[in-house]
Parts: sequence; structure tokens; C-alpha cells
Amino acid sequence: MDDQGCPRCKTTKYRNPSLKLMVNVCGHTLCENCVDMLFVRGSGNCVQCDTPLRKSNFRVQLFEDPAVDKEVEIRKKVLKMYNKRDFDFPSLRAYNDYLEQVEDIVYNLTNNIEVESTKQIMEQYQRENRDVIQRNKVKMTREQEELEELLLLEQQGNEQRRLDLLQEEQRQLQAKRKNKQALLDEMERSRVPATILLAQHKDRVAQLETRIEKQKQAVKTSIVFSTGLLMGQTVSLQPVAKIEEVLYQYQPLHIETYGPPVPELDHLGRLGYLNHVRAAMPQDTAGGYSSGLACHRALQDAFSGLYPLQN
Amino acid sequence: MYHNSSHKKFWIFDTEDAVELLRCEANRKFRSKMSTSGKPGLKEAMFLERHEERVLFRYYEKRLLDFCNVFKPAMPKSVVGTAIMFFRRFYLNNSLMEYHPRIIMFTCAYLSCKVDEFNVSSTQFVGNLVQETPAGQERVLEQILEFELLLIQQLNFHLVVHTPYRPMEGLLIDIKTRYPPLENPESLRKSADDFLTRASTTDTGLLFSPSQIALTAILNSASRAGLSMDSYLTECMGMKDNKETLLKLHESMRRMKKLIKEYELPKPEEVNAYKEKLERVHAEFNTTTNKRKRGYEEDGHVAKEPRIAEEEEWTDEDLL
Repeated sequence: MDDQGCPRCKTTKYRNPSLKLMVNVCGHTLCENCVDMLFVRGSGNCVQCDTPLRKSNFRVQLFEDPAVDKEVEIRKKVLKMYNKRDFDFPSLRAYNDYLEQVEDIVYNLTNNIEVESTKQIMEQYQRENRDVIQRNKVKMTREQEELEELLLLEQQGNEQRRLDLLQEEQRQLQAKRKNKQALLDEMERSRVPATILLAQHKDRVAQLETRIEKQKQAVKTSIVFSTGLLMGQTVSLQPVAKIEEVLYQYQPLHIETYGPPVPELDHLGRLGYLNHVRAAMPQDTAGGYSSGLACHRALQDAFSGLYPLQN
Repeated sequence: MYHNSSHKKFWIFDTEDAVELLRCEANRKFRSKMSTSGKPGLKEAMFLERHEERVLFRYYEKRLLDFCNVFKPAMPKSVVGTAIMFFRRFYLNNSLMEYHPRIIMFTCAYLSCKVDEFNVSSTQFVGNLVQETPAGQERVLEQILEFELLLIQQLNFHLVVHTPYRPMEGLLIDIKTRYPPLENPESLRKSADDFLTRASTTDTGLLFSPSQIALTAILNSASRAGLSMDSYLTECMGMKDNKETLLKLHESMRRMKKLIKEYELPKPEEVNAYKEKLERVHAEFNTTTNKRKRGYEEDGHVAKEPRIAEEEEWTDEDLL
């Protein structure tokens, strides 16, 4: 990040934030200004490796490492030629070997290893497989077109649905407005008391509402998943196992205390127990303490296990 | 709550004999352990008999009680009750010959302070050993910490003890509220308290529930004052239609009173004779404790230097 800069004019991204670095087929960077200056005539040699370059082949550097840019460029070119697919081969093994070969070629070209022999191999391949290359190119473009068509269709569908929704909403709004107007008109004209009219109106509104609700639900059920499955459709072929649950029945908690029953905490005051314990100080009650708690606990302890064991 | 506690489940026994049987078993186990260890110069006469153990236990229990009663800051009664109960439970399954009661009793008191939320620091605790020098106190503290984990383990981690003091408060409140025939229930308190203190030094805590002990204390106190509270049991405690329960309860009360009546302080000459014997047994066989201690030191739990030599000269006469 810190030393991204033009090797020729030594400008860096730090000093000139708007600096645009360009890269050509050889994988060496130059800034936009230097490119403009050096390639005024449309072509020239690379400053670093003397490779003859054309100005039109300069691309904006996308990756931090210009070598990656170079590789991307090369890969694009090679794949244009090596465009066989897995069903062009008799076995998976052969296809994998082919992919391996492609990778080798890309690697060699990127790292300038045996460039000449590699280029020869490529040329030979091109000569031998001219038909296949051409055929595959046509096929690829056709597939591309089909894909685009599909996308377009989907977009149209979306648009249609949106419009439908909008229309529906407007219709509902209109219905409501009409309803309101009708009420006002009726109030003006009719002799029936206003309360009855209002009640009728409310009824109608409710009906309308339920109808809209129903419609909405109907719309919802027809919504399609992105996978193309309908919302309500069951996918699994096995019927969903029905689990019969028994409703939970509340059983009041019963604790055997082996002693006489203890009065409830809330009843202590009424039964007069609290007259015989120290009243809680105001500062005690801050923490939630009440004299009933201590009293209740003492009583519980007094009665718990009072009866002798029955065995 | 007592009714679903470990206290009720594991530490209440049916009869006095069942308790005594456990103690005899502990005594026998120690003897057989020592005789199988094949130490030279082993004589049956060296061991403490069961009745001798009982006398010594009484003696140390009394000392524990005295220690707790003069403790500064004053110990709540429930802490004392818990400490004595720990002591009792510990020697139910262990022989006095195996672990010296002198240190176990302090450990019980120390642990019960923690369990019953009576907050004293460890130095404050041993500070109550007024006869000891600061170095001696430090030594006792170390021993307490050593035996604390053993004690907890021997109590089977059942640390909550239900003492009869709160049940007695509850019963007094109940009597004041629901039993107007009794004019001054507070007058029963002193004698009932006394009863509970005496009950704590007997096996009642291992045989009866704390509420039963508290009820007995109050009824006993009432009958001493010449008051009859039979109608309290039948009317307020719901035992009117349950003659069987009432009979059993009276039987339990009778047993409790018998236990307390039977209690007598050990005679000093007996104590001295048996104590000598106990010291000899410990001097002879305390290999187990030493081994344990060393294991602790390796773990880095306690002080590093061996203190066995000093320990010999530390007799309990210095303590109180």
C-alpha cells in the first residue's frame, strides 16, 4: 500500500491520491501521465523490460500486484483459444490433463518461462483444433444469449407483479373513498338516525377489510420461491409424520412436609401472625424484605418434619 | 427446607442402636486397618475401647461448646449447633484414634462459621485461642485448613444442618397467635433454650427432626412451669383425629428426654487416663495423617516445612 507508485516518475498514491496506475501485457506498471507522455505516438517500449507495447493495451491496474493483472490478461487470451469443455473429452482424466496443460501455459507466460516454446505449443494447438474452437465459441455466445433472455424475462415478471400490486392498492383506496362518500351522502339524505347509519357503515368497512385481507392471502399463496416452487407446495414425498401431543395439564405442586400445613405468606397478616414478630425497619424493606418473610420461614421450619415418620 | 434436605435423607437414624452400631463399626475398622498394616509392637490393649471413645468424645464436645460460647465476636446459636452437629457426624464414621478430636473440633467450628454465614476471618478465628502465642495460632490455622477438606468430604458434602433454634421461634410465634390459653409464652423461652443447649450435646440431632426437638423443648418447659399444652397439639397441630401420630410423637419426646437425662459430664480422672491412651495411639499410628499432610505440601496448598516435631510438644492443655 505504502509504496504503490510509478517506477518512472516516482509519484506515489500517498503524494497524489488521484494517481492512476496502468499495466500492460508485460506486467509492468506506469502511471497515467507517463503513459500519455511516452506513448504519444501510439506505441513504444516498456521502460523496464523493453517489450514493444501499444498504448491501447494499457489497462487500469486492478490488483495491488501488477503480476496478477498480467495473469488475468493472459488467462483471458489463452481461454479464448482453449475453450473445450468437459463433454469434449472421452474421460474425466483427459479433461483434467487438459486443464492442467492450460494452467501450465498460463503460468509459463506469466512468469516468462520458455515463452517461445509455449507460444509454439499454443499455435500448434490452435491449428489442430480450429474447428472445435470455432464451434465452442459459437455455442458459448448462444448460451450467453439464452441466459440474458432469461434474466430479461424475470425482470419483466417482477415489473408486472409490482404494477399489479400498485393497481390493487389503488383500487382498494378508491373503494374506501367511495364508501366514505356514500356514508356522507346517506347522512345528508336519509332520515334514519345517525348512529344506525354509522353502524351500517362500520359493518361495510369491516366487510371490505376482510375481503381485502382474503385477497391478500390469495395473492400470497401464489408467491413463488426463487427455486420455482410454489409457496404452499409440499416438496418432500414422504407424508409429514403427525405427532399427537397430549395437552399439558397443570398439576398444582404438592410438597410433603411431614407436618401440619403452613399458612400462606399472604395470609400471615390477616391471621395475626405478624403481631408477634419484629416489624421490618424502613431500611430493611429497600431490599425487598418484609417481616412476613422471616415469620413464614420460621413457621415453615417449625412445622416441617414435625410428625414422626410413619414406618 | 428440612423436609427435602440431605439432613433428613441421610443424617436421621431410626434408633439409638443404629447410631451406636456405626460408631462401633468405625472403631473396629480402625483396629483392623492397623493390625493389617503389620506394625511391630502392636497390642490390642493399646486401642481405645468404644466406651472410652465415648467419654473422650463427650469431653471434646464439651470443649467445643465452651470454645464457641466464649468466642469473640459472639457466635449465633445456630453456628454453634451446626459446629457440634458436624463434629457428631464426623465421628459417626471415623474413629477418634484415626483423627485427633483436638483439631477436628476447631475445624468443625471454622467450617460451620462459613456454612452458617457467620463472617470471621481465619486469623480472627484462631485469635480466639487466647492461650496460644501468635506462632501457635498460625500453626493451628494451618492444621485447620489441612483438615477442612477432609471434614467436608467425610460429611459427604452435606453441609446444611437444620438446627432447632428457628423452629422454636416459629413455634413460639404460632403459640402466641393461635393458642391464647397460654398467657405468657415468652416465659417458656429460657427453659426451652436451656433444653436445646443440652439436647445439642446428645444424639437427638441424629434421631429426630429439628422441629420435633423444638416442640419437645417448649412442651417440656411448659410442663416444668406446671402448664399443660396437650390441647395445642390436638387443636392447632391437627392431631385430633390422628391418635397414632400423637402417640408416636409422645414416644419420641420420651426418648429425647431420656437421652438428655442420661447425659453426664465425663469424670476428670477418666478423661485424663483415656487421653493419655489416645495420645499414645496417635504417636504410634499417626502415619496416615503425616502422609496426607505431605501430599498436601506437594500440591503447594500448605506451608512447606514439616512441623511434626513441633506438633508433639503442642498438647491441648495449652489451648483453653
